[in-house]
Amino acid sequence: MELRHPFITNPRLTIFYGVFWLIASAVMMLILIFSNGLDYWASFVEVFTSIFIFSIIGASVWYVIRFSTLENNSILRIILAHLIAASIIVFIWMYLNVILVKLLNPQALEWMQKGMINKIFGGYLMYVIYVIFFYAVNYYYSFKEKVRNEGKLIALVKEAELHALKSQINPHFLFNSLNSISSLTMTDPAKAQEMVINLSQLMRYSLKHGQNEKVLFKQELENNKLYLQIEKVRFGSKLNPIFDIDEKCLQMNIPNMILQPLYENAIKYGVYEATEPVEIKTVCRCNEDFLQITIKNSYDPNVISKRGEGIGLRNIRDRLEIIYGNPHLMTLEDNRKEFTVTLTIPQKII
Amino acid sequence: MTDKLRTIIVEDEELARHLMKSFLAGNEKIEIIAECENGFEGVKMINELKPDLVFLDIQMPKITGFEMIELLDHKPQIVFATAYDQFAIKAFEHNAVDYLLKPYSKERLLEAVAKVSDRIQKEGIESDVAEKILNFPREGFIDRVVVKDRHKIHIIPVDNIRYIESMDDYVMIYTNEGRHIKQKTMKYFEDSLDPHSFARIHRSYIVKIDQINEIQQYEKEAYIVILHDKTKLKVSKTGYKLLKEVLNF
Repeated sequence: MELRHPFITNPRLTIFYGVFWLIASAVMMLILIFSNGLDYWASFVEVFTSIFIFSIIGASVWYVIRFSTLENNSILRIILAHLIAASIIVFIWMYLNVILVKLLNPQALEWMQKGMINKIFGGYLMYVIYVIFFYAVNYYYSFKEKVRNEGKLIALVKEAELHALKSQINPHFLFNSLNSISSLTMTDPAKAQEMVINLSQLMRYSLKHGQNEKVLFKQELENNKLYLQIEKVRFGSKLNPIFDIDEKCLQMNIPNMILQPLYENAIKYGVYEATEPVEIKTVCRCNEDFLQITIKNSYDPNVISKRGEGIGLRNIRDRLEIIYGNPHLMTLEDNRKEFTVTLTIPQKII
Repeated sequence: MTDKLRTIIVEDEELARHLMKSFLAGNEKIEIIAECENGFEGVKMINELKPDLVFLDIQMPKITGFEMIELLDHKPQIVFATAYDQFAIKAFEHNAVDYLLKPYSKERLLEAVAKVSDRIQKEGIESDVAEKILNFPREGFIDRVVVKDRHKIHIIPVDNIRYIESMDDYVMIYTNEGRHIKQKTMKYFEDSLDPHSFARIHRSYIVKIDQINEIQQYEKEAYIVILHDKTKLKVSKTGYKLLKEVLNF
């Protein structure tokens, strides 16, 4: 939260504050002159010393509120803090009052001493008004900040959605698959049909589920097997997926469409650049609290290819962070022979 | 039948190869003399068999279709095939080269064949497609250069390049291991190499910036750079200005 005084960060508020006290001072002076019968100078000195001085010292009340917040302190402590602060402020105010009146209008001193008790009481009252005023200011600020943060979060989610959508309709994948189907219609119509159905299922799955929706790991896994099956038709024996899944993990939760970009990467950098068969190994383990998924693919370190900007991986990390509030749920490992991604999906949401 | 087009298909996916073959099967204009699964094989077969026509996939493992044609001694007529490559398509359209977008129909493929045989009748076998495509800038900056020395194909990561010297229609690429000649323009490399790492310091030189050890003035307004291995290269006036900008001195 902001540690600087709102009068410093918001000049408009400062101007309003000043204008308010100027008007209040003018009204006070008029009252003193016309109903109490003071002369101009005496009423000016009176208003100047009490109101003007307090409007300056009073601004410091904000710091008292800022450093004894309602959330972090007991009521007793807050009351005590305010009592002490109020006494100090009132004391300083009165002290300056006496000095200034002595200096500017010595005749009024006697008159002033009579009203001392009233004035001290008035000082405490002013303090209370200031406390209320600054609470209102702080509340307004934190409200505005909250709105701003929410906006940021929404923008992040939207961005993640856009990226995911783009990768789902990866034109390379789509057009090459359609080309494979075109070929199969002549040689193996049954297989062509199967591939059309698989492709449709894959598309439907990604259309059906929203970005922040969680699905059963079983569903997500089946969908990705579908994806790998389609790619297998294209790449044949070059693509060799292996699964080692602990049965009891299948009923756990996972954000949907989070695995496909990982397989897509494994194919793009592992299978696509290879002339030999490439293994893509998926290992899944879990306990009550976490579901851990490891996807590993071998690749040819001699191939110099565009590693991309890693948009896919960053996107997954962002999504996990938005959903679970932890930026360390995805880890990468690259030993120049194999590329390994590990996702840790929390199962207990706070 | 000598008037058939001797054809090679270079395509890494078996199903895609199969599709093309069945579309071409029984066609009296086409004789398929070889099929290749990757770019290396493609270069070897084309240089060896000297076909009239090559169907060439662009996205392939190891080296791309574009890198392949850079390595050909024999330049056949080429019809490209791609599923999706915006920049390639731009290059094709720009140079009026024939290309097929996957998935394509049989009619579209035969149209391409007809175009090619027309062109051969008019202009003879040798094609200028390769030349047309060769120096067209591609998407982003390149990160490797493919060269051929006699029978070996080298893939040079751009990080290994020390500097490039122009030699008429060719460039000489100097790396830590040696030097390689390549048929490309200086302009192509100037456009395709990341300007944060490479600078065109002279009409004849592009240098990798982190290879520069020293910049010396040897005459009024005339400079040379000295690389870490003591190679000296001339710097032109504009080259000096560019270096000043990049190196911030």
